[in-house]
Amino acid sequence: MSTMEMDPVFTAALREALVATVKDTPRVRRRWRWRVGTGTFLGLTLVAGGVALASGMFSPPGAPVDSPLGNVITATRTGTATIDIGTPPATATDVSLALTCLTVGTFYFPNGSSMNCDSADLTHVPPSDGPASEVVPLTAGVDTVTIKTSPNATWTLQAMYVNQVTTPWGVNASGETYGVENQNGTPDLIAVIINQGSTNGYVKESDLKCAGGGDPTSRAEALAWDKASQNRNITIPVYESDGVTVVGTFTVGSASGPNAQTVPLSSLSLGC
Amino acid sequence: MVRSNGDEATAWAAVLDNNGDAFVAIFDQHRDRVYRHALRMTANVHDAEDVTAGAFLELWRRRKAARVVDGSVLPWLLVTTTNLAKNLTRGLRRYRALIATLPRADVARSAEDVALEQIEEFRIVVRVRDALSGLSPSDAALITLTVFEHYSPAQAAAALGITDGAARTRIFRARTRMAATLEALDDDENIGATKETNR
Repeated sequence: MSTMEMDPVFTAALREALVATVKDTPRVRRRWRWRVGTGTFLGLTLVAGGVALASGMFSPPGAPVDSPLGNVITATRTGTATIDIGTPPATATDVSLALTCLTVGTFYFPNGSSMNCDSADLTHVPPSDGPASEVVPLTAGVDTVTIKTSPNATWTLQAMYVNQVTTPWGVNASGETYGVENQNGTPDLIAVIINQGSTNGYVKESDLKCAGGGDPTSRAEALAWDKASQNRNITIPVYESDGVTVVGTFTVGSASGPNAQTVPLSSLSLGC
Repeated sequence: MVRSNGDEATAWAAVLDNNGDAFVAIFDQHRDRVYRHALRMTANVHDAEDVTAGAFLELWRRRKAARVVDGSVLPWLLVTTTNLAKNLTRGLRRYRALIATLPRADVARSAEDVALEQIEEFRIVVRVRDALSGLSPSDAALITLTVFEHYSPAQAAAALGITDGAARTRIFRARTRMAATLEALDDDENIGATKETNR
C-alpha cells in the first residue's frame, strides 16, 4: 500500500458507514423549488427520487406533482418555535416549507431533516443555495409547523399547503413499468439523464443493480466489489420507454487514470 | 483543468433527494483526491483517513448547503478537508465515535512508519504540510484548489464564496508566503546537512 492510497479496509468500512448513514437519515419525500411570483409561490416541477434523475425539466411517470393551495405564511423567529399555518384546505395533503437561515446555527424541519448555516453561508452573495425546502405530509388535526434550532438561531419560514398527486408509472408493450422511484417502489425501467443532460431515457433496474454491485451482505463482499471496481467502470444500456430501443449508455463507476477500463455489463459474468 | 461533470451533477441531484446509491457514487468518485489532500494537510496516514471520513460525513450532513462548482462537489470537499485538517480535534468531534468503529488494515501503521519505506514521497508530503500550515484555512484551501487540484481562480472563488478578484489577490499572497516558508525549510535542511557533514 502506498501512502497516497487510502487503506482499502478502511475505505470499504467507510463506504458501508456512509450507506448506513444515508439509510438512517429521515427520508425526504421530495424537494420543491420555489419561485417568487406576484405575491405567490409558483411551484416548479420537482426533482423526484429516481436513481439518476437530474432535473425538473424532465418529469417522467411516477413523479409527484404538488399543486399550491392557499396563501404563503411567512414568519421570522429566533430559536425553536411553532408557527400556526391556519386550517388546511380540504384537498391539502402536504405542507411545502422553505426555510432561510438569518444567523449561523442548525435548523431542523419537522421531519428531522436539518440545515446547518455558517458565517460563509450568510455572507455569500447571492445566497449560495437559497432556502432549504421540504415537503412534509399533513398530520390530521395539526395545523402548526415547529422548527427546532440551536440556541439563538434566527430563521424565516415560508409555508404553504399543497395537494400532492403521484403520477402513475407508465407501462410499455412488454408490461414493464417505467418512471422514477417513489413511495410505491421502483419501476422496472428507471428514468436517467445522460449526455450532459441532453438525453432522457431509462435503464433496467436489474442492470443498474447488477452494475452497482448488487446488495452486498457482508463487509467482505463489499470489500471484494470495491477492489474489483477500482479500475473498472461498467456501462449499461439506456432505452426508450419501450425497453427495447437503445438511445445511449449509462456509466456506473468512477474509475479514472491510466489503468481504468470501461466495459459493458454484457461482457462480464457477474452472476446477476 | 477540472471540467464540469454531467454525471456528477446528475448524481448530486439524486443525493439531494436522499439517494444513498448516488452518494456512494460521489464517494467513489472523489475519495482518492480527498484522501491525498488530507494526507497533504496532515502528513499522517491515520489522521488523513479520519479527515477523509469526516469530509464525506460533513458532505452528507450539510448536503443542502454544499456549494457545487461546475457540477462538482469536489471543491467543497477539498475546502472542508482543509478546515477539518486544520482543526482535527474540534472538526471531527461529532464523528469520533463512528470513525473509531471503522477497521483498518494495519492499526499500527502511521505515515512515519511508511516513511521508512518511502522516504522521498513522505518527505514531499511533510514539506507541503509544513508550507500549508502557515496559511489560514481559507488560503490553504485556495492554494489546494488552484495549485494542487488545477482549478481556476474563478472556480476556487466560487467554492469559497468570495469574488474572483479577491481570490486572485489572496492566491498571489499565499503563494508568496508559501514560497518563503519553503525557502526557510530548505535553509534549515541545508544547515542540518552541513552540520551532519561537519561532524
